[in-house]
Amino acid sequence: MVKIRIDDRLLETAEGSTLLKAALAAGIDVPHFCYHPAFEPEGCCRMCLVEIDGAPKLELACSTRVQDGMNVLTSSPKVMEARKEVLEFLLAEHPLDCPICDKAGECRLQDYYERYGRFDARFREPKEKRDKIVPIGKRLLLDRERCILCTRCVRFLREVTGTGELGVFERGARTEIGPYEDRRIDNAYSGNLAEICPVGAITDTDFRFKTRAWFLERGASICPHCGRGCNIDIEFRPEPDHQDPGRKIFRVRARENAAVNGHWICDIGRYGHPYWTENRSRFVLMNKGAKTTRLSWDKVLIVLSEKIKGLGPRGKGGRLGLILNSFLSNEELYLIGRIFREAIDLGNAWFADPKPQEADRLLLTAERSPNLKGARELGFESRPPDLEEIAKRIEVLLVFGSGLREAFAVGDVQKALDRVPVKFLFAAHTAPGDDAYDFLLPAALIAEKPGSLTNTLGLVQEFQPVWRPPGEARPEWEVLGDLARELGSGEAWTDLTIVREAMAREYPFFRKGHD
Amino acid sequence: MSHGFAPVVLDEVRAVAARYPRREAALLPVLRVLQRVSGALGRAEEELAAELLGLEPIRVREAVTFYSLFRQKPAGRHIIQVCINLSCSMAGAGRSLAALQTRLGIGSGETTSDGRFTLLTVECLGNCDQAPCLMVDEDDHGRVQKEQLDEILGRYP
Amino acid sequence: MTRERPELMDLTEHLFELDVYRSRGGYDAARKALGMSPVAVLTEVRDADLKGRGGAGFPAGVKWGFIPRDGKKPVYLCVNADEGEPGAFKDRWLMTHDPHLLLEGIIITAYAVGAHDGFIYVRGEYEAAALRLDRAIDEARAAGFLGEGIFGTKFGLEVMVHRGAGAYICGEETALLESLEGKRGEPRLKPPFPASVGLFWCPTIINNVETVSNVPRILRDGAEAFRELGRPGDGGTRLFSVSGAVVKPGLYEVPVGAPMKDLIFQHAGGLPSGRTLKAVIPGGLSAPVLRADEIDLPLDGDSLFRAGSMIGSGAVIVIDDGTSMLDILGIMTRFYAHESCGQCTPCRIGTSWMHKTVVRMASGNGNMEDIDEIARVASAIKGRTLCPLGDAAALPILALVTKFRTELGSRVEEARVRSGSW
Repeated sequence: MVKIRIDDRLLETAEGSTLLKAALAAGIDVPHFCYHPAFEPEGCCRMCLVEIDGAPKLELACSTRVQDGMNVLTSSPKVMEARKEVLEFLLAEHPLDCPICDKAGECRLQDYYERYGRFDARFREPKEKRDKIVPIGKRLLLDRERCILCTRCVRFLREVTGTGELGVFERGARTEIGPYEDRRIDNAYSGNLAEICPVGAITDTDFRFKTRAWFLERGASICPHCGRGCNIDIEFRPEPDHQDPGRKIFRVRARENAAVNGHWICDIGRYGHPYWTENRSRFVLMNKGAKTTRLSWDKVLIVLSEKIKGLGPRGKGGRLGLILNSFLSNEELYLIGRIFREAIDLGNAWFADPKPQEADRLLLTAERSPNLKGARELGFESRPPDLEEIAKRIEVLLVFGSGLREAFAVGDVQKALDRVPVKFLFAAHTAPGDDAYDFLLPAALIAEKPGSLTNTLGLVQEFQPVWRPPGEARPEWEVLGDLARELGSGEAWTDLTIVREAMAREYPFFRKGHD
Repeated sequence: MSHGFAPVVLDEVRAVAARYPRREAALLPVLRVLQRVSGALGRAEEELAAELLGLEPIRVREAVTFYSLFRQKPAGRHIIQVCINLSCSMAGAGRSLAALQTRLGIGSGETTSDGRFTLLTVECLGNCDQAPCLMVDEDDHGRVQKEQLDEILGRYP
Repeated sequence: MTRERPELMDLTEHLFELDVYRSRGGYDAARKALGMSPVAVLTEVRDADLKGRGGAGFPAGVKWGFIPRDGKKPVYLCVNADEGEPGAFKDRWLMTHDPHLLLEGIIITAYAVGAHDGFIYVRGEYEAAALRLDRAIDEARAAGFLGEGIFGTKFGLEVMVHRGAGAYICGEETALLESLEGKRGEPRLKPPFPASVGLFWCPTIINNVETVSNVPRILRDGAEAFRELGRPGDGGTRLFSVSGAVVKPGLYEVPVGAPMKDLIFQHAGGLPSGRTLKAVIPGGLSAPVLRADEIDLPLDGDSLFRAGSMIGSGAVIVIDDGTSMLDILGIMTRFYAHESCGQCTPCRIGTSWMHKTVVRMASGNGNMEDIDEIARVASAIKGRTLCPLGDAAALPILALVTKFRTELGSRVEEARVRSGSW
């Protein structure tokens, strides 16, 4: 460890670290544009210049390594003057786009000007005119007038995705960033570019002009689209947007986690937010013949428990069937195991999960569901459903999630379900073919309930609800607790903590501190 | 893949590349050869250089657009580079330049309609004791007076 | 002590031919050096107080000492023949007229630092010089002075000429390395320095043409003789490229510390009749200008530094009363805006800003405030940039607008009147 002083604060920091890293870790803001923790220091924006006792010139915090006894000033008059001047240079050739720029409200140039600038513009010359709407990728636009040439985008595409779609052309004040010929950015991590651009040069068309950053609320969650369990922030408007009242979620962003996803998320997760808002199942429904009626949760749980009890000693003869999935949380899968042990032991539990696809070298796993590892740790064997077997043997079928309709043709599912006397669907999304089920129960999704998931590497990650489920949708673990009570179970699963503790007792893997 | 270049050209650029400990270091000299052969560095030249040197074409274009001696658009048969930096300006480069513009009927950066000459203004050529100086193709011309221009240009058909 | 050829410049005709060069004692110093230990060679050059002649003025022998001797990675030698500093033409002369001297210096330098590959980075515009070097390399190789087992020792060396493509910034050593590696000539952050992380991430020495060309005579005549030619801590002679308003522009060799007045008024013949001296730029365009009353000083790095300027590449540009300082300001700002690589904020935007202002001033839309604005912008660039080009732009521009503020003011006023602006 090395001892240094920053602004009269004595800090201990790791050898080989930089002044910028040390300052940021201590909560001292040293403004910067081109530095990003995922890359080696670039040193081109010149915003992070600081004063070091004994050094003749200001030095870059991003690339100066800490040395024992260093005495650093981050807000001396010299430093403040340098910051102002670098800002003035950047703003001199920067368009006055704030009123129409997506980045407003979360733009480093704006923020730093507010904090360290506050000068009047003195640049009287004609600004460089450049292209402002350059398509560089499927959902990405480049505004060359706004670009401050920090080169984060170029470096991301070279060092992270290895695809190198952007380059730096020309020289001097004519320097500009762009793609090669008609090649566009179409890798699976393109959305990270709009996030890492410190200004509004790269904008995401999924978000462009839709709303303002300051209207958004943010909640932490876990991406459900594959087994990586990338940490995300979901940004949404609690009140409807006047331009687009149907839209709730405006953005999904990466939340840094060194053990899981680093600084990034993939485009499937980033642009997969319709998952939470489209085609949601909102009410408990009963289909009888051509008629659909709304039921209360109490009513449907009574019906479900009666049907199950009506099979005799639970699941006996193998006539209760479960179609599960690995989108269910650890706690939910555990409860299912507790309640439906016999049915499971008789081999009447199948998993309808999305088909595994190719993993990439970065984050995306082959399994396209978030809790396959959790299911396995809880003793489940994730066999795909056998429609023939189900049609033959099962009398009461409880289907969790939308996996069945994604794995088989609607007609095949319909045909099989027609031979099952009673069918319940407990899913978050509606779809054609729902009328094949007798009872539809609306489920909550991750971000609408608490729980935990186990990622592909065996890391258990807890999550909290960010907003309430739509309509009358409820978390599966709650409904399962109610069902257990209806079925006459002795335990009261009234709180998730109770479930977790039981889970940890029975499965040491889930004990806290075990990783 | 030959990208439409003659075998003798491919041989030449391969020989250039072979002289370097890492072949990508040969980019500038390879581009020089290709510009000489093709007159300008367009997509075909970029892709050939890229393939030969194990680079992505975008990296080639990054270099092409950085260096002043590389051009993406064809020029005339002969390139006139008139130095307009300090010593040459003081010695009357402005007069030579004006005379050339009048005589050729073009401005700086332009090519004569018969494709014979391209006129460029450039920074210091390192020939300051011969001010005002200019280059035509690879030849240095020093102490250039207006009156000599006809004779000088006449050497370049 | 009799010394043959104490001068660096040898005006013998056809010196670029190997047999003529050898008849002048050529390659004897290299043979002598290869009979010593590399450390002994390095010590000799270090003791000679040979300062870099490219502009930075760093002692060559000291720089060579930074090369690690652990043999973990190959060591490279790069000769900086990019000579883009306006006013400088000494390296052109050396390479065109005396290429074997440079090669001999390269052999000795490479031997001292443990390099087996040498690259001469010649600016793209120096066609004739490059051809002479190529030819000299072929001759030297045929004679066994390059290649394997030079002078019967175990030391081998390959040298090649690498052509630049028109970028002043490639005269900066790390930009030169980037360019040599086949990329844009964008300077690197230092540290690390090229002596530890250089060409292809290997330890690399980069020296200027004139610096390396001085090495053979240091080995031939000894460090002390070289030191004595100059001043304490700054040995040898220097080549000065003199141009501008002088009767005899040309290349002149004088001892380090010789009076600037002598160079201008004796060697270069003074100003043409009818003209008066107004200013002198002493070290290339990037060296802050000296007024006519400021040139009474010795030509060495320290003296010029104390006078608020620098010796740089030894390019002396003489300016007479017939030249407009506004024109010079326009050339300066245009040059740096054109040559800025564009990587870092202050240089990329600041050099362009200053040039745009001067263009506006020259076209009749400027005033005194603009002159002060230029000074302010130059100060904002100074000391803030990734590489020395920022200071190379800021310092001379600052000196010019400070020392010639009054004249600039009247020129700007004249331009307003001419253009009819109010």
